[in-house]
Amino acid sequence: MNALHEQFVAEARELVDQATDDLIAIEREGFAAERVDRVFRAFHTLKGSAGVVELPEMVLSLHAAEDVLAAIHAGRLDATTPAIDRALACLDQVSVWVDEFEARGSLSSGAGWDARAMAARLRDLLSTGPGGQTARDGRDRATVANAAPPEWVSRLIESDRGQIFRRLPADADHLLAVSYEPRSECFFDGDDPLALMRQVPDLLAFHIEPRAAWSPPSDMDPFACNLRLQCLSAAGRADLAAIFRLVPDEVQIIDVPLHALRPRPGVRTDEAERAGLVRAVIDEQRRVLRMSARNDDVAGRIGAAARAAANALRHGARADLAGRVEHAAAEAGRRGDAGSLLPVLDATLAALAPGAPAADGSDSAVRDPAGAIMEDARGAATRTLRVDESKIDALLDLAAELMIVRNGFAHLTRRVAAEVGGHGLARAMRHEQETIERLIGDMHGAILQLRMVPVARVFQPFRRLLRDMAMRLDKKVELVTRGETTESDKTIVDRLFEPLLHLVRNAVDHGIESPEQRRAAGKPDEAVIRMEASRVGDRFVVEISDDGRGIDPAIVRRKAGERGVLAADALAALSDEQVVDLVFAAGFSTAAEISDISGRGVGMGAVRTTVEQIGGRVSLSSRIGAGTTVRLDLPTSIAMSRIMVVEAGGHLFGVPMEAVTETLRLAPDRISRIATNVGFVLRDRVVPICALAELMGLPVAPASDERIRLLVVIDTGGKSVALEVDGIRDRLEAVLKPMPGVLSGARGYVGTTLLGDGGILLVLDVKAILP
Amino acid sequence: MSVHRSNDGTIVLDGRCPVEDAEPLLQFLQAAPGAPVDWRHCRDLHAAVLQVIMAARPTLVGPCADPWVRQWVELE
Repeated sequence: MNALHEQFVAEARELVDQATDDLIAIEREGFAAERVDRVFRAFHTLKGSAGVVELPEMVLSLHAAEDVLAAIHAGRLDATTPAIDRALACLDQVSVWVDEFEARGSLSSGAGWDARAMAARLRDLLSTGPGGQTARDGRDRATVANAAPPEWVSRLIESDRGQIFRRLPADADHLLAVSYEPRSECFFDGDDPLALMRQVPDLLAFHIEPRAAWSPPSDMDPFACNLRLQCLSAAGRADLAAIFRLVPDEVQIIDVPLHALRPRPGVRTDEAERAGLVRAVIDEQRRVLRMSARNDDVAGRIGAAARAAANALRHGARADLAGRVEHAAAEAGRRGDAGSLLPVLDATLAALAPGAPAADGSDSAVRDPAGAIMEDARGAATRTLRVDESKIDALLDLAAELMIVRNGFAHLTRRVAAEVGGHGLARAMRHEQETIERLIGDMHGAILQLRMVPVARVFQPFRRLLRDMAMRLDKKVELVTRGETTESDKTIVDRLFEPLLHLVRNAVDHGIESPEQRRAAGKPDEAVIRMEASRVGDRFVVEISDDGRGIDPAIVRRKAGERGVLAADALAALSDEQVVDLVFAAGFSTAAEISDISGRGVGMGAVRTTVEQIGGRVSLSSRIGAGTTVRLDLPTSIAMSRIMVVEAGGHLFGVPMEAVTETLRLAPDRISRIATNVGFVLRDRVVPICALAELMGLPVAPASDERIRLLVVIDTGGKSVALEVDGIRDRLEAVLKPMPGVLSGARGYVGTTLLGDGGILLVLDVKAILP
Repeated sequence: MSVHRSNDGTIVLDGRCPVEDAEPLLQFLQAAPGAPVDWRHCRDLHAAVLQVIMAARPTLVGPCADPWVRQWVELE
């Protein structure tokens, strides 16, 4: 991918986001010339850029969308939901193409069909819209679209489908098929049937055949015409009628719907039914994934669900989506997190929704009709420099190494002062050292700043998601966002999407009442969901609140009792606030029915897990009838610690890697005893051995001097100590959390982190535990 | 006339081939059923001439110089 392409991808995504927001705002707030103008410019710029990077399919769709927007702008078409829906669908399609283009540098083979279908759907708005233009030649499109083409037309199409498609002009909105059977004496009358065919404009296919079987050459009459000439054209009916005006009874001109060009016409008739089936299969997989019992085979479940979904998609001729699902499943499998497959399945369902762009496996492509060029309408997009995250991380590593060298330099400065003397020299060196120290500190900070991104990029998709969710549930919801410019580390911001998705889904589905219920409760029909981000000290706080029905502690208490989340006496001891917090317990749900939008309530448990993994905390407050607020309290920068997981006395402990100098297996003959202490010689120094289990007050395996010992050598400020462990399990990178609650004062631990299996790993403060 | 026989027996279509060429072409083909037809210099083909070619199915020496025929006419 060259710089131009990268630029295009970045810019296209910004423009899609911007246009999506504006379209939704137009739908909500009605027509505003300035806004429509801005959307138009975004589409126009996208189209121009797509032309530059040679994506004619994208140009085609965007061009049609531009026509629709121009009609809205001119007042010829109302900015109603169907129009906005199709414009949004066009942007969805563009996003998919941009992703494809970024991944492969080209679009999939089905893009041509997608583009044409999209353009046709958009242009339909113009022919049917109030006060809109009628179709070019005034035909009734509905009847044309429903009639199956005669067999000879199908054969004509079948003979050369790919070429026909390639030849089709970009703005073609219909096809005409011509069958011309010249009378046999036409040659005598001076007719040349071939000459007539040569005049047909926008010719797409041509076929010539004998009307009756040829007689052998010996008996042939060269002046008796025995020909049937057929063709397919995108020209207007009037043009064709003019060409064949002298032979009206020898020619048959029939309308052919554009969709007749789609492959496998026989299978297509049950397309809608099949799409419904595919959607049902995927929906079922979503349900299965949500019903996660904690200890079952997560990877197996992800694999099975993804296979079922991908097979269904392939059956539905959506191999493009199948690929995406499989890719996401592989990722989810690696992370052992079924939840991360869900958004992808959601997106897949959205793409399959009626009215969403269709795709199929055709190998055709569209030729770019409009030689689109980059134009001046690009001022609105923000200019950014896109840098690969790994490059920034490489910088960060370099800065960390510089810090180590700096420490060595500080030591050297002290030696110069002590050994060489000469105060002037020592002072000058110390001065330089202080400057270097400050610069390295500044540089480290500046590099960390590069990883800071505004939370807007996670908030952005919610406007659209919320709109679609609310529509499906027949609820009215307004999204208010605040603090989008608040920044946090990229890792934190990126991992925030999933928890926020769960929270917003829960709010729309469970929190917000139907408009009728709201009216009865004296609230406005339209509910408000707020997403607010802010900086509180060095913490990054995100709050999601709704003005819905709130959570009833009595119901939570009852459900928690029924589900055995907590024993009855423990439950009775909890205050109402504490009870409400139980919604975060895995497997808990207060919804009476499992709903399409937010499932079984495993979501809230997943929210807490994800947030804690990135070093954050979740808290919830709710008032019956007034709404619920969930507060995510997150760090602003993420400091990953490298940890070695060791086993001792039947327990797992974490040892910070920065303390570990080496690990080794020691044969019994290298062990020396000094009084009651055990030690060994490592590079001319005696290193004492301490059994970790003993230090932790755990049962120690019966000592046998004949065993090989597994040692982790720790450096504690210049002094080496070897910890004897039973096993070394793993090395991991994790964010350390401070010890929770009453344990926060416990000595010997620097913090905890979550293990892959959900267990908690205590990470040792090795200095503190050594005698 | 734009249809003639060359020395090696090939039937050659040359330049514009109007309706009048259909009969001599058929006669050549009747006289020498296996003779190839060279239409590399045929710039404009009448339907009647094409019809003879379609019926007699001679070996064609091409491509045809008529661009429209070259693009659109496929003879099995």
